[in-house]
Amino acid sequence: MEHIEHLEHTETPKDMKSQIWKTFWILLAFTVVDIVIYFMLLSNHSMWKNWLFILLGVVKAYFIVGVFMHMKFERKTLMYSIIIPMIFVVFFVSLMIIEGDYTNLLRWFK
Amino acid sequence: MATNTLSTEKKFNWGGGKSPFSVSYGKLMMWIFLLSDAFTFSSLLIAYGFIRYSFQSPIHNLVVKPFDHLSHDFVQEMVEKTKYFVQDHWPSPELVFNHFPFIHGMHLPLFFVSLMTFILILSSVTMVLAVEAGHRNAKSEVSKYMLMTIIGGAMFLGCQAWEWTTFIGEGARLFGNPYGPRSFAALFFIVTGFHGFHVFSGVVLNVIIYINVLKGTYEKRGHYEMVEKVGLYWHFVDLVWVFVFTFFYLI
Repeated sequence: MEHIEHLEHTETPKDMKSQIWKTFWILLAFTVVDIVIYFMLLSNHSMWKNWLFILLGVVKAYFIVGVFMHMKFERKTLMYSIIIPMIFVVFFVSLMIIEGDYTNLLRWFK
Repeated sequence: MATNTLSTEKKFNWGGGKSPFSVSYGKLMMWIFLLSDAFTFSSLLIAYGFIRYSFQSPIHNLVVKPFDHLSHDFVQEMVEKTKYFVQDHWPSPELVFNHFPFIHGMHLPLFFVSLMTFILILSSVTMVLAVEAGHRNAKSEVSKYMLMTIIGGAMFLGCQAWEWTTFIGEGARLFGNPYGPRSFAALFFIVTGFHGFHVFSGVVLNVIIYINVLKGTYEKRGHYEMVEKVGLYWHFVDLVWVFVFTFFYLI
């Protein structure tokens, strides 16, 4: 208990409850948008579709991490030490999808 | 001299004597753990993305029109007439995961996973409401929302079990499945299994915290920080599901 009280209180907005529910509806809306786009672009095979879904995932992650996990209201140093490594991870995921596509191409020439 | 040291303390976050991140030790370590766990999950998703695209895309996707796969008759005719599920083409997930509990013989593509996503997001909301109530030291509210979170987690696990049972009942195994490349089912079992294990441990942790809340452990302690820490873990599990859903069912 002692060491908790030393910490300066990071600010929590007064209307936290309404913010939480707003975030919930946003997340739900994005999930529905995800599914609608999926069925709309069934015949589309371009890589852009994947980047769109990953981007939508990142947007949802922003709301979950920012509001639910309280990251928006933490110190910037903590925020960056968690977020920056994850940016590289998202990049890596996208990179390996492209790499897989080239592997697919190589199977044709086998 | 004295004023000099005082001003240094004020100026530098890393000068010692206080937490540079302005969070408690436990919370910081939870964040570090979640980061490392995120690496583990991303390695699985990286493997998924690579293996998925090293196979051909679903056969008939080039000729279907938007929303075609929502129609029961269209899908049945297509799968029966042409040999849809073949070894070197990745299957379209909505043609595999189109079942719903208690509803037989209907084609409901991705409805059940959407419901699972909804349940998990909702349990995440009740968790953050518990944390919010913890800030106000409202014991009865914390316990109410913790219980709702536990129920949400248990429901998700039940859905997962049903999904697995149906999939296995259709002949899917770790080393082979009737839908296409072997790795399709293998990746499904490993990724959703690993995530399901995280949900399970999350529910166990939530139950422990719930019991402590009821016993008044945190009321005596004066703060509900343990609820926040477990909350971080629970939101992380939700976050991972967002990406598992995106990769497995959409990409």
